[in-house]
Amino acid sequence: MKRLTHLPTLKIDTSKKISVYYRSKTHTGWYGDTIATLLYADGIRVFGRSLKYHRPRGLYSLDGECSNTMMAVDGRPNVRAETTMAADGMHIAAQNVQGTSEKPVESTPEKDWMGFMDHLSWAMPAGFYYRIFHKPEKLWPIAVSRIRKAAGVGVLTSGYTVKGRYDEIYPATDVCVVGGGPAGMEAALSAADKGLRVILMESRPWLGGFYDYRTSLDADGVPLYRKANAMAERIAGYPNIRVFKNAPVVGVYGNSMVTAFQRGGRDRPFEQRYIEIQTRSIVVAAGCIERPLLFENNERPGVMQMGCAHRLARTWGILPGRRAVFSIGHDLGLEAAIDLADLGMKVVHVADVREDGQDQRLLDELKKRDIPFSRGWTAIKAGGKRNIEKVTIGTVNGMRRREFSCDTLAASAGLTPVTGPLATAGAKLEYHHLTGFFLPVKLPDNVYAAGRLLGLNDPASVEASGRLNGLRAAAACGVRVDSELKAAEAETSVLPGPVRNSKMVTAPVKNQKMFICFDEDTTVKNVDQAMDRGFDVPELIKRFTAAGTGPGQGGVPGHNLPLYVAQRGDSPDVDPRPITVRPPLTPVLLATYAGRNHDMHKRTPVHESQSASDGRMDRAGVWLRARYFSDDRRSRREIENVRGNVGVLDASTLGKFRIFGNDALKALQRVYIGDMNRVREHRMTYAAMCNDDGCLIDDGVIVKQAENDYYFTTSTGRSGATIEWIRYHTRYENLDFHMVNLTDAFGVINLAGPNSRNVLQKIADVDISNEAFPFMGYREFTINDIIPVRAMRLGFVGELSYELHVPSSYMQAVWDLLEKAGKSFKIKKFGLEAQNTLRLEKCHVIIGSESEQRTTLCDLGLGFLWCKSKPEANTVGSVALRQTENQSGRLKLVGFKMKNGLERPPKDGSPIVDSRIRGYVCTARFSFTLNEPIGMALVEDSYAKPGSVFGIYENGCKGRLIRAEVVKTPFYDPTGERMKS
Amino acid sequence: MAHKTKRLWKYQPLKSSYDAVIIGGGLHGLATAYFLAKKHGLSNVAVIEKRYIGFGGAGRNTAIVRANQRTQENLPLYREALQLWPVLTKELDFNLMFHNCGNLNLFHSEAAMKAARLNTASGQFHGIKSHLIDAEECKRMVPALDISDRPRYPILGAMYHPPGGIVRHDAVVWGLAKGASKHGAHIHQGTEVTGIEVYKGKVAGVHTDKGKIKTPRVLNAAGAYSADISSRLLGAKLPISVLTIQAMVTQPLKPLLNHVVSSGAYHCYANQTLKGEIATGAHMDPWPNYTNETTAHYIKHQAEALTEFLPCLAGVKFMRIWGGLADMTPDMAPIIDGNEPVEGYYIDCGWGYFGFKSSTVTGKYMARYMAEGRCPEILKPFALSRFKEHRLMGETAALVNYTPDN
Repeated sequence: MKRLTHLPTLKIDTSKKISVYYRSKTHTGWYGDTIATLLYADGIRVFGRSLKYHRPRGLYSLDGECSNTMMAVDGRPNVRAETTMAADGMHIAAQNVQGTSEKPVESTPEKDWMGFMDHLSWAMPAGFYYRIFHKPEKLWPIAVSRIRKAAGVGVLTSGYTVKGRYDEIYPATDVCVVGGGPAGMEAALSAADKGLRVILMESRPWLGGFYDYRTSLDADGVPLYRKANAMAERIAGYPNIRVFKNAPVVGVYGNSMVTAFQRGGRDRPFEQRYIEIQTRSIVVAAGCIERPLLFENNERPGVMQMGCAHRLARTWGILPGRRAVFSIGHDLGLEAAIDLADLGMKVVHVADVREDGQDQRLLDELKKRDIPFSRGWTAIKAGGKRNIEKVTIGTVNGMRRREFSCDTLAASAGLTPVTGPLATAGAKLEYHHLTGFFLPVKLPDNVYAAGRLLGLNDPASVEASGRLNGLRAAAACGVRVDSELKAAEAETSVLPGPVRNSKMVTAPVKNQKMFICFDEDTTVKNVDQAMDRGFDVPELIKRFTAAGTGPGQGGVPGHNLPLYVAQRGDSPDVDPRPITVRPPLTPVLLATYAGRNHDMHKRTPVHESQSASDGRMDRAGVWLRARYFSDDRRSRREIENVRGNVGVLDASTLGKFRIFGNDALKALQRVYIGDMNRVREHRMTYAAMCNDDGCLIDDGVIVKQAENDYYFTTSTGRSGATIEWIRYHTRYENLDFHMVNLTDAFGVINLAGPNSRNVLQKIADVDISNEAFPFMGYREFTINDIIPVRAMRLGFVGELSYELHVPSSYMQAVWDLLEKAGKSFKIKKFGLEAQNTLRLEKCHVIIGSESEQRTTLCDLGLGFLWCKSKPEANTVGSVALRQTENQSGRLKLVGFKMKNGLERPPKDGSPIVDSRIRGYVCTARFSFTLNEPIGMALVEDSYAKPGSVFGIYENGCKGRLIRAEVVKTPFYDPTGERMKS
Repeated sequence: MAHKTKRLWKYQPLKSSYDAVIIGGGLHGLATAYFLAKKHGLSNVAVIEKRYIGFGGAGRNTAIVRANQRTQENLPLYREALQLWPVLTKELDFNLMFHNCGNLNLFHSEAAMKAARLNTASGQFHGIKSHLIDAEECKRMVPALDISDRPRYPILGAMYHPPGGIVRHDAVVWGLAKGASKHGAHIHQGTEVTGIEVYKGKVAGVHTDKGKIKTPRVLNAAGAYSADISSRLLGAKLPISVLTIQAMVTQPLKPLLNHVVSSGAYHCYANQTLKGEIATGAHMDPWPNYTNETTAHYIKHQAEALTEFLPCLAGVKFMRIWGGLADMTPDMAPIIDGNEPVEGYYIDCGWGYFGFKSSTVTGKYMARYMAEGRCPEILKPFALSRFKEHRLMGETAALVNYTPDN
């Protein structure tokens, strides 16, 4: 097709050719073409097949309001061909086409053997699938697989990978303007003039909105497209306006956040990027799209929106066809008919659904060109198999009809405002009788609406509305604009206000294929059927007929469905109600939302040392920690080395806190179940925290450093919640204390094993003999004169051991010194798995492993940590502990060994007595130290005494239970000699 | 096929007296009404719904059904629930579209594997089919999974639960409404309960914005709004926090996922609906609230998570996100009780995000409870008194943290 190459409105660069592959052929267009315009220019009319009936579908709008032109591009399904720029070498394929080729890339949507589905629509009324396929029952599984194959549109292969860079940015601004048309540009300019930072978002590749393709003149005689260019140039001169083009806004959250994405391109070195804007005020000037006209075959290729026909010619230099009929309801349609006729298209008839209200100047122009025009007429039916060949138009009252042969029908009922950004921001929308639009009646604070979406049509009004709301947005940022605001308000008050729009919903035809939603093949008749079944709210009709739930995001049915439902409903006096709009307003690739997909994790100060010596680093909450130092998943050598020599473990992830201030002790007394009064200065105690149910939530040690100044540790998992926990439980008393989270400031090394004292003594500057530094003791000393160390003698793994708290910056040095000093004592790193077995032998509890959410301190046998003489009301969990202390039927923690000489520990499973589950296996391992399997379990109290025997039901045991016996704990070194020596 | 256009449920004027009034036209309310009318001959029943039926969680969930719970109190209930879908499809003569595709519960750590082993064993003990599979087997079942070491949480294996799948949630709402209406129950949409009348310690009636109703029995099955109703109308406070939970769908695709896939580590579950969309949900919002509003960060989180373990999904687009409300109890198990604090007042709430899969079976037993006045064995463990006695259920092993005090 010969393209119009000399129009001043063109957005293509005819010096740069672009070639794409479609159906094994090369198609060539120009830089600036979208995939759809490139193919259309090359004669392609059918772009794909519809979901249910496999009807041919063609170019209808140019802004992606329906799935008609969704195609597969380079293996990616459901790409919107009409908004995606063509790029050299793209491989393009049609979707949902059956049977024309083995290879989907070669499928020709012009033919589709499933096309017969269209003749079966009578068998598929709304919700038909709820009434069939389940009788007989055996039919259903077969039907499911058929339904699944028939449903869906694009094909995504499981090996698909995205290529290129997906970025994300988080700009902040004062005013965010959504929509780069005349109102949006004016709003941006007037806010920027006040010195504010402005972000202007536009989904198309250029600014200009409904000006950019129009040659008609404004009041001063300037063509609108030139005006748009001039405004865009002015914007470019403002350093405080940041413009994002190719960037559809996908969500507005309240009055302070706008999300969008931007497509990459020549000057944008990314595939797409996610944009999240923090803003102080928002102006939505998103303009209008067209409200589809409902008539028979209203989605046949060749039928397109008036703006689509007009912009094809003016922006891309493509005449939509040779002979066109116009069936429109807005002056823009008259303007398009005149302009297209001037550009060389034969306009055979213009039907306007409006009886009156047309701009007389436009009617005169039509007359000048001898274009027949009829008022109160509308398209009734489009004829033709793959592309329209004829059109029947008729009077709105259905009395008269005429038929024309043509290849293009520009059809539109009028306009509909793009209120999605307002709706997601939380604006309340109501039906507006003059315009027939759903318009905001209440906007969130600092959110403003401007321009055409308010029903304005006159260019001067649209621009003034932009200026006015730009000033309001500036005022919302605290700028004083009183006098300008007054002037702007005065200006708009004398300009034309919102205009009346056509109210017609459906052409005067019954029971025919009028599609209210293209994506889901939902006809007006389907809506009738749903309403006959008792569905009376648009939301439910949407769910029952699927209208508006497709990839077009309600762009086609969004306005017509509520209008039709209100018109047909039982109470004619009820206003139409808008349907819910949900983000994203434009579908967004998961790759784009995922962006760079930051991996936020923490590494301890000695991470590298461990990973370099074969440490397998696993996630433990936000941390990476070493689980094993060999391929042995039971960590035998690590365990035996701790028991026999000395091991070193990185425990830096422990929560570490300082609490100080006049009421620090009071705060600790509140959350710890023991008596914190008993902790003496420079001494340490082991303590636990419970929740209101008496359940153990945390344990650790507390060191008193001075009066009302404590250092305490928490478990790794609780470190993030500790400060909030303490604050929450002291919230009413106005206690005077402060907390510092030192978790990242200190690293922790656990040095454990019979040789640990010998190793530590080599580097410590003080005497650490058993007398000088006994079990459960706390010391502060230095290493190498300068490294300050807080050392605790604890025994989690059941051996003589030291927990060394070292400033993070010194961690590596101490770690290396220990390794060096320990060489002759066979020091070896050990990981979490070894620690787990070691502490299991001692029956030391890990919260979440031995405790469930419902396990109290007493259930775990840790009741000795509870100080009963403390005032109950002032201790979190104390009341519950008293109430449950002697309650029967609770699950208690026990140690068990296997019966009948079983040499393996149980897989996790359930203790069974008398054919009932009596609890849960918590941890079970083979103990190399004891040379037998051991475990801990929570079991009902009646089976918790040593000597009780229970079965264990394991995964896959098929009812064959293994037997275990409750034994006294701990398994290893019951008197604690080894820890204390 | 000449289709008869019969209403699925009838319009009825509000009567001044019913044998039972059910607050909430969600799944639990409709199911109870259906079983009351059909099984217990208590057909003079009204379902009072403030908005429209299926407005709340019933129409907002991701439609996954399964019975791989943790505790013996829950397992039998969910087992029976799974068996009910085909039965109800037949009984209601309404295709609920139970797609028995099985659920794949991925685990990525030793701890999660341990939990999966335990759940699998408990399930098997109760006759519920589940078994553990390794990463290679996962890949065979769902070729789109990335089982390499690349993801931040590499896949170690999964619990496969063949009897689960997905059900068309709206169909359940409409099917139950159809069945309840057929057996005589009245469904009053757009009607708000404004008061509960108590006389001498017994329920005497219900006030609505459309008029007063005399009734000896009231069931509070108002989902997320049940705690508010209980507290406001009867002064009975329930230990429930309400949190938004968000879900989203992608554009429709030809078959890609043949099973429900979920991952605890990524806080993410996904399944492909019969329409071809990938429906996916995440964790709850971390703070209580009463709105259905969505947030920008959840949809981003979901994309980050999904593209990690199902990398091909990077090439599909999210189409919409919505929010629903989950009524969470401190132990993630529901509150089902009767005649507390007044005779004739029943509650069925606190289901959190388990309300869909449990709805029909709970309705069945709740109807028996209300008809006979005695709590069926299977519902007894869910009594409100467990909180007073500090006997929480162990449905979740870990501590739940959705309230500011946790």
